Amino acid sequence: MTPGAVQQSGLSLRFAGAAKSYGDVEALKPTDLTIAAGEFLTLLGPSGSGKTTLLNLAAGYQEPSAGRIFIGARDVTHLPARHRNIGMVFQNYALFPHMSVVDNVAYGLKVRRLARSEIARRVEAVLRLVHLEGYGQRGVQQLSGGQQQRVALARALVIEPDVLLMDEPLGALDKQLRRSVQLELRRLHEEHRRTTIYVTHDQEEALVLSDRVAVMRDGRIEQVGSAGDLYDRPVNAFVAGFIGESNLLPARVTAIAGGQAQAEVDVLGRSLTAAVAPGLQPGQPAALLIRPEHVLVGEEPGVTAEVAEIVYLGELTALNLRLESGATLWARRITSHDLRRGTRVTIGWKQEHARIVPT
Amino acid sequence: MTRQPLWLSILAHGGAGLVLAFLVLPIVAVLPASVNKASFIFLPPRAYSTRWYGEFFLDSEWRSALSTSLQVALIATVVALVLGTVSAIGLRRIRGRWHSLLTGLFLAPMIVPVIVTAVAVYRSALDVGLAGTVLGLGLSHAMLALPFVVINVGIALRTVDDNWLRAAAGLGAGPWTVFRTVTLPNITPGLVGGAVFSFITSFDEVVVAVFMAGYANKTLPVKIWESIRLEYTPVVAVAAVLMILLAMLLFGGAQALGRGQSILKKSEQPQA
Amino acid sequence: MARYRVETACLLAPAVLFLLLLFVVPLARLFSLAFTDEGGVFATFGVLAESEVYRRVMLNTFVVALAVTLITVLLAWPVAYALSRLKGFWFALALYGVLFPFWISVLVRTFSWMILLERNGPINRLLQGLGVTDQPLALLFNDTGVMIGMVHVLLPYAIMPLYAAMARVDRRLLLASDGLGAGLLDTFARVYFPLVLPGLLGGATFVFLLSLGFFITPALLGGANAITLSMLIASFVTDRLAWSLAAAGSLVLLLVVLALLAVAARLLPLDKGMFAR
Repeated sequence: MTPGAVQQSGLSLRFAGAAKSYGDVEALKPTDLTIAAGEFLTLLGPSGSGKTTLLNLAAGYQEPSAGRIFIGARDVTHLPARHRNIGMVFQNYALFPHMSVVDNVAYGLKVRRLARSEIARRVEAVLRLVHLEGYGQRGVQQLSGGQQQRVALARALVIEPDVLLMDEPLGALDKQLRRSVQLELRRLHEEHRRTTIYVTHDQEEALVLSDRVAVMRDGRIEQVGSAGDLYDRPVNAFVAGFIGESNLLPARVTAIAGGQAQAEVDVLGRSLTAAVAPGLQPGQPAALLIRPEHVLVGEEPGVTAEVAEIVYLGELTALNLRLESGATLWARRITSHDLRRGTRVTIGWKQEHARIVPT
Repeated sequence: MTRQPLWLSILAHGGAGLVLAFLVLPIVAVLPASVNKASFIFLPPRAYSTRWYGEFFLDSEWRSALSTSLQVALIATVVALVLGTVSAIGLRRIRGRWHSLLTGLFLAPMIVPVIVTAVAVYRSALDVGLAGTVLGLGLSHAMLALPFVVINVGIALRTVDDNWLRAAAGLGAGPWTVFRTVTLPNITPGLVGGAVFSFITSFDEVVVAVFMAGYANKTLPVKIWESIRLEYTPVVAVAAVLMILLAMLLFGGAQALGRGQSILKKSEQPQA
Repeated sequence: MARYRVETACLLAPAVLFLLLLFVVPLARLFSLAFTDEGGVFATFGVLAESEVYRRVMLNTFVVALAVTLITVLLAWPVAYALSRLKGFWFALALYGVLFPFWISVLVRTFSWMILLERNGPINRLLQGLGVTDQPLALLFNDTGVMIGMVHVLLPYAIMPLYAAMARVDRRLLLASDGLGAGLLDTFARVYFPLVLPGLLGGATFVFLLSLGFFITPALLGGANAITLSMLIASFVTDRLAWSLAAAGSLVLLLVVLALLAVAARLLPLDKGMFAR
């Protein structure tokens, strides 16, 4: 491992119609998803959305009720976890409490019956990689949360897994530590380009780490794409609401042509044209999406509104604006002190920043 | 969630079933033995009759053994419950060396082999004239039952938050009122459990009783013990059935009362 | 603060006094008898140590206790494992299967075995009926009978701590082992077994200690052919009025038990809850 050299390790992972149900409960609806070799993909969603199920199917801890799973070219659908060569980092780590750091990390190599010297060499290397040199003989229960997290990562990495799987690995850490470990994980990924699936419900974490993010809800992937894709072109109101802040105003779509929709937005008291999410049909329940930073205050001609609340966030200020219809929306702008509660303003936005999405 | 191979599952559950049968079935054997018509025990009985139940209740020796047992168990339960509860509350108020020392003392009757306790207690009881008396039996059984009360009440006391006591005191309640209105209602399941354990411990106890009973005050187990060692008839099986019924009644009742505290609650699973 | 201390002392004093009078003092008085024999201070221990018969009794006590412990642990394993995997109705059924014998008097259970193991009892007739044996086996009044009865009585003491240890094993540790490439055998030997070992050893220690002092079951199922130390102590008192020998035997038994307990307490994180039956 020469420092700085970008390697690519790992294989692609493909779900083909994979599904999991328990009796009547569909934990995961039939899902197609391909993670390219060397890609870092995050599964993002609320709890119960099926992201952990998808991860367990990849790991081999659960068998799909339907569909197939491939690692590289190999069909692993019915292959138990121990034969898949995957590295898993569990939520709360699942470190073996009766073993030292070294024994935890060496475990996967010992059960592969590697030579002692080889084990020692690789364990030492991986401990250096996660900055745990000198901690080898400690019991894992003597370590801090952040150190335990790194032992778990080392244990998963040392077997040179084809795919690295992480289930909310930073969930037990405090916010500041989480920041620094996120950057550390990104560094490791950039050095080794190991195929990785990462589960989290923290959108910021997903955006910091991933090549692509899959947003999940109710056992289904709602949208897969880069951070920019998801933010700028969400396919529906759920994705829009889950990634970043958003204003969603109920809208009635009357016509669609060339990726643009004609919609009536009652709370604005007007009809307008905006880009439309693919697949939306006229008459379907929909909303007008405008991000708070795209709401322009003092735009003429515009919609009249009254400042209902002002929240200082430091260099930014969030404004809660009440429309004449009584509906409210949020705007964000660089802090200036020209507005106060009750001030009447006109607001607007650039047409390319408005988007019609299904709800 | 772990995939467990089928053969392992069958082996484990099959083995468990067999061992559980070994645990439960032999106990049930006294039931047919007690309704045997013949005057010796033969299983399975060739003819059935309840005549031995009649014999049991007509025989003054068996009747008085049953009544002695109930008296002894009652004394043991009351003494152990009062002493045990008070000491469990006291134990909670101390820490460190004294706490471990006294806990050790309170649990010691459970650790010292019963035969040793029995011989020692018998020897001293002879010297002070308590041997062969109901009181002597009751007190020595109370000693054996004390650890169960201390443990049960101690566990129940863990559910009582010290701040509740401080709050009650702050609202003007005296120590006794605090105990009666705050502590007591919350440790009731522990008290019930402790009482049941005490009663059964005494009612079932043989070793100390064999030494202490003398001629006049045989408890039911002592009478059974002696009958078994001489020539036994199905009456012994009747006595055994009665002992089983009483234990089931008391433990079943305690379980129904103390559902919340019951051992039935599977230990908390780690977060899945 | 002083008032608090006085209150606490008043709470603890009655039971302490009670135990001193009824337990500690009688034990001390008994043990003092062991050293006040007319033959000399340690004469009683000499008698116990030199007699071939007494030595055999002590050896037999140890051997039986050891065998009972081994068998008990082996039989406890599948039950504890099943308890840790079962849920709902089947779990409750299995649990009551373990607790029910626990509730029943040892005397009654021993009596049941006497009926069952008799020469012409149902078990012998069943074995003969199945053609396992031609003539009735001697299952009673020997070590076989004693061990069957003791295993039956002591099984729950081994099952409960073992089950508790198994239930505490975090399933994800087994998944982690699986994912790291370990086969069933590796996962068992390197992860599962070491994690349940404290429960296993705790239960085994408990069973062994109880076995050493067992009285009722060996006295009824073993009889004169399988004498244990506790039976010997009882017979010193009731048959021979040899109090000093009974005292010496009691002291030996208690010291062995305490020594084992001390070793166990040092080696194992003994759960206090384990003693709550």
